[in-house]
Amino acid sequence: MQTDAPSQSSPTSQHRVFLVVFGLLVVLTGLSFWIANSAIMENRILGWSVMIGISICKAMLVVAFFMHLWWERAWKYALTIPTLFMGCMLVLLLVPDIGMRTDHYPRSRQRLSPESITVPNAPGYNEPQPKSSPSQGSKT
Amino acid sequence: MDTMANSRTKPEPDHGSHGHAVPLVYQRALPMSPGKVAIWLFLSTEIMFFTALIGTYIVLRFGAPGGTWPTPAQVGVVEWLGALNTFVLICSSMTIVFAYEAAKSDRVRSARSWLLATMLLGLVFLGIKGVEYKSKYSHGIYPRFPRSLMHDRADLYFVSNFSSQLKQRIADEEAFSNQSPKQAVATLERLYLIQTGLVNWTEKKVGMSDDPQMKRLALESFAHQIHPLSKRPDIDKYLADEQTELMQEQQQLVTQQEQLESDLATAQQQLATLSDEIAQLESDRKSLVDDDGNFPEPGEPEQQRKAQLESTEQKAKSITESISSLNQQLNPIQRRLEAHSAFNQLEKGINEHFHLKLPMVIPSGNTWANTYFLITGFHALHVVIGIIVFLLLLPLELNRRRAKVMENVGLYWHFVDIVWIFLFPMIYLF
Repeated sequence: MQTDAPSQSSPTSQHRVFLVVFGLLVVLTGLSFWIANSAIMENRILGWSVMIGISICKAMLVVAFFMHLWWERAWKYALTIPTLFMGCMLVLLLVPDIGMRTDHYPRSRQRLSPESITVPNAPGYNEPQPKSSPSQGSKT
Repeated sequence: MDTMANSRTKPEPDHGSHGHAVPLVYQRALPMSPGKVAIWLFLSTEIMFFTALIGTYIVLRFGAPGGTWPTPAQVGVVEWLGALNTFVLICSSMTIVFAYEAAKSDRVRSARSWLLATMLLGLVFLGIKGVEYKSKYSHGIYPRFPRSLMHDRADLYFVSNFSSQLKQRIADEEAFSNQSPKQAVATLERLYLIQTGLVNWTEKKVGMSDDPQMKRLALESFAHQIHPLSKRPDIDKYLADEQTELMQEQQQLVTQQEQLESDLATAQQQLATLSDEIAQLESDRKSLVDDDGNFPEPGEPEQQRKAQLESTEQKAKSITESISSLNQQLNPIQRRLEAHSAFNQLEKGINEHFHLKLPMVIPSGNTWANTYFLITGFHALHVVIGIIVFLLLLPLELNRRRAKVMENVGLYWHFVDIVWIFLFPMIYLF
């Protein structure tokens, strides 16, 4: 018990820490909600990065204070660092071959992919408009 | 016994007096309780598990070719519901911390009520999740066998699947309308209009057109009317142009029809007068009967009139034929125009507006649904397990002795919260 429990801080001050962390979590949630609906999302990569950054901050707050790792001994590093390393590696290793596989798609592959819905510069999106309007004009 | 207890609390290398060759010193293997080691190791595997799921989602989502992954709005994901669920889970993390603190300082009642609050918040989370799943189901956004309702592209496969599902729906609706006719009539009318004004029209249009761009526009505008994904000015323009064109065509055909009908009326009038005249001539002729009961042969005027009658009859017949062929031409146009006026103004599309659950085009919609249900489903399963554990703990005396159990359960619950912290932006906001 003595080894597990935080030794430096008194229960009341710890209580205050929990409430502050709770407030921060709520504020950060609101912040990422606000970012999703703000002009920052016009640069989608930036918006995504900021939102993931906020999520990482929130997770760190929960892990450090709600899960008491802040007050734990050094074993926390032995446990968390390898896990996080493997977790991040698993995702990062997939990025170049799979995550970025469509960055340089040949047209033949593009035809097999689902049709584009939002990106106006995707092949085949803008083509129908200039060609079809004259043909319609000639018909009427 | 006494010495052992002493050695537990106060380890001292003072065991030589027992006379053992090797001094027994109590040393803890780890600076933490075995339960905590276990729960942290378990959480490590859980981190791997969810990292794999989230990593798969990231790879699929960002590896999708530009613009082919549905935005949250296109698959009907409600942002504020996700934010609310995030808030609920953060609150539950807070309450489980309070429950642990209370148990640690032997405040049993307070610990129990905080634990109960945590469990209720978990149930609220599941409830909101259930509402979201239900809305997905009612919109047809889920994997299903043998064929999903979501198509990657607007092509003829989409149209034919739509057509067959619509026929099935019409058959069901017709069977239902025999039971309660009044309710079903409007629905059935609408389904017929979709069949003739949208499906059949598009099939004909695509089948008859040689221009690939026109084909594509016809198919895309069809898909857009069923389930619009974004603002498409090109499709709006295409539909508006088609509407004006068809209205002109309809006007032309209607004037032609009126012309033909007046022609038919005059022909019928001619026929009536001719047959009257013939009858008159015949009766005149028959009044000239001789003693043997023989009439005179039909005279020149009568024969002429009979020939005229025959040709006019022929003419009337051909006019009727052309009127019916005109009607055949006119009917689909009128149905199409009806469909235009009925469906063009629907902002959310036919599927959403009439709750029809017919096939629609959502590029990568199936991949989206698979990952969405897999990830949120596994997370919800963890919430369910947490709630079961809370239920098992609630009847117990949550005092200092059970503080460690409370802490371990709390660690698990915080982990569930952390997973949601990552899922929320990725599923609801990206």
